[in-house]
Amino acid sequence: MAKIDLSNISHSYNPNDPNPVFALNPFSMTWENGNRYAILGPSGCGKTTMLNIVSGLVRPSAGRILFDDKDVTDLKTEDRNIAQVFQFPVIYNTMTVYENLAFPLKCRDFSKSKTDERVNSVAETLNLKSFLNSPARKLTADQKQLISLGRGLVREDVAAVLMDEPLTVIDPDLKFRLRRNLKEINEQYKTTLVYVTHDQNEAMTFADNIIVMSEGEVVQTGSPKELFERPNTTFVGYFIGSPAMNLFESEPSSNDSVKINNTLIKTNTNLSKLKTKNIKLGIRSEFIKIAKNQNENLVEVNVQKVEDLGNYKLITAKMGSLTIKSKVTRETEIPSQNVKLHIPAEKCCVYEDNKLI
Amino acid sequence: MNKLYIFLKYFFIVVWTVFVVAPFLWALTTSFKDFQSVNGGVTYIPWLDFEPNLEGWKVLIKSPAKGGVDIIEPYFNSLFVTCTASLISIILGTLSAYALSRYTFKAGFVKNNDITFFFISQRIMPPIVLSIPFFLFLSSINLLDSLTGLIVVYIVLLMPIAVWIMVDFFNKVPREIDETALIDGCNPYQAFLKVVLPNSIPGLIVAGMFCIIFGWIDFFFAFILTFTEVQLLPVKIVALNSSVTPWWSLSASALVSVAPLIIVAFIVERYLSKGNLSGAIK
Repeated sequence: MAKIDLSNISHSYNPNDPNPVFALNPFSMTWENGNRYAILGPSGCGKTTMLNIVSGLVRPSAGRILFDDKDVTDLKTEDRNIAQVFQFPVIYNTMTVYENLAFPLKCRDFSKSKTDERVNSVAETLNLKSFLNSPARKLTADQKQLISLGRGLVREDVAAVLMDEPLTVIDPDLKFRLRRNLKEINEQYKTTLVYVTHDQNEAMTFADNIIVMSEGEVVQTGSPKELFERPNTTFVGYFIGSPAMNLFESEPSSNDSVKINNTLIKTNTNLSKLKTKNIKLGIRSEFIKIAKNQNENLVEVNVQKVEDLGNYKLITAKMGSLTIKSKVTRETEIPSQNVKLHIPAEKCCVYEDNKLI
Repeated sequence: MNKLYIFLKYFFIVVWTVFVVAPFLWALTTSFKDFQSVNGGVTYIPWLDFEPNLEGWKVLIKSPAKGGVDIIEPYFNSLFVTCTASLISIILGTLSAYALSRYTFKAGFVKNNDITFFFISQRIMPPIVLSIPFFLFLSSINLLDSLTGLIVVYIVLLMPIAVWIMVDFFNKVPREIDETALIDGCNPYQAFLKVVLPNSIPGLIVAGMFCIIFGWIDFFFAFILTFTEVQLLPVKIVALNSSVTPWWSLSASALVSVAPLIIVAFIVERYLSKGNLSGAIK
């Protein structure tokens, strides 16, 4: 259990090259003790590199890592007391489940009774109790992943448990249960959990803080709500949420309004300091509703299709050449003609050069 | 279709079995024959076709003074040299293979793959090329005609095999296993000994098997580097030959010399099918 500080960390896999390619651009970040973090981003954006830097498998090209204000940048992996779970279960094939779980404690010379107690408690949490004496290689893939996880949780004093897409091999039903288990473990033991994923749902349901990455860059850090309602960049808006955020090329107009397709949309953003005219209006489809008695921020659209997605309806509509998506409740009646959609000013995000103003 | 497949499968298995076993049967029956039975036309069945006797076998253990050849000492020499050289080759080979698989080496343009190839290239050269350097080398350190000298030479010959097999094997052992061990608190040595090595037993067995086979069957270097003090089995067996070919004792010695390899093959076969890496990851 520790507070983890990443200070000015950057990493390149060819640092001696005249033009080094950075897998991770310089960034600083603090992970508070006992919180749940998710690192979210598409494949190849540097998530795993970041994790490996924290666990010590990769030494950053620049920057320092501090655990509880103690510099561990030059400390070897085995001395950092960190746990890492990989995408695919890694188990010690030649050992039993018990020996697998006890291995991290054995390496650190824990007493037999303490080991017994910890292994049993973790096995209990992860439903592995009845397998303790079977050879680990005989178990199914998801049970093996539980063992990997268990090896991370068996040390009470572990600085953080880092998980690199750990639930990929696990079937959806168990996934759900495991995520809840992880949350419980986090609440019970106050272990800092860091969870790497490219699945936004996983990140949103698991973490109380999400770090969104793109092309080696940390683009936004925040709670799921912040990321959802006020994405920092158009990338975040596009990457988070299903469907992605509606983004419209627009022109600035007076009174903090923007013009899309000759329709004025009022926003709550101060647009007086715009440097360029390259702006985009972003709005979540969840906030766009069919207009009832509003008289501003209305757009007239042609409904192209309506998909019933179980718990909501997704309207895809055209306004000139622009496509608008709107999520409405199943009960909503959708008129066939003259549909007007309302875009609430307080939910509008304006992006200049793809960055939120 | 299915029946035809099964029929063909068993048919070829039978044909192959006959092909493999027939020479052994031939050697086995011949080893119990005497001069008359060997030269008196084709015979197979003891007591009916010919009268079996143990002369061919007795020659092998009789001392030369009594007209025998005594292969017992060369036999144990061979066992000792092969096993020691194989063991050392496996230990050194495994360590180098692990390093070559996990760490990056660079000296000028020489990189990991070049080093691996350097090991293998030792086996590409025809043995005859190596014979004179080895001879001079052993004579300069006074190890000609000694077991130690042979072990040294055999390590040079066997270690490339071990390195080659083990590099390939370690490359297939996921790195995450080592990394997990480090994360769990092992130092790199413990990670190798406690986690990677136990997972590599199938590879070790295959490498061991090849070392033992190539060590055991070597005639060339044993012939060149020994004279009178020390003799290895293949050299002794060849020495059995004389103006009248002693088919019976040659057959008997062929059988005893091949016996250890058959035993090794049986043991290895069981381990190979039992322990494999599938399931270590994924």
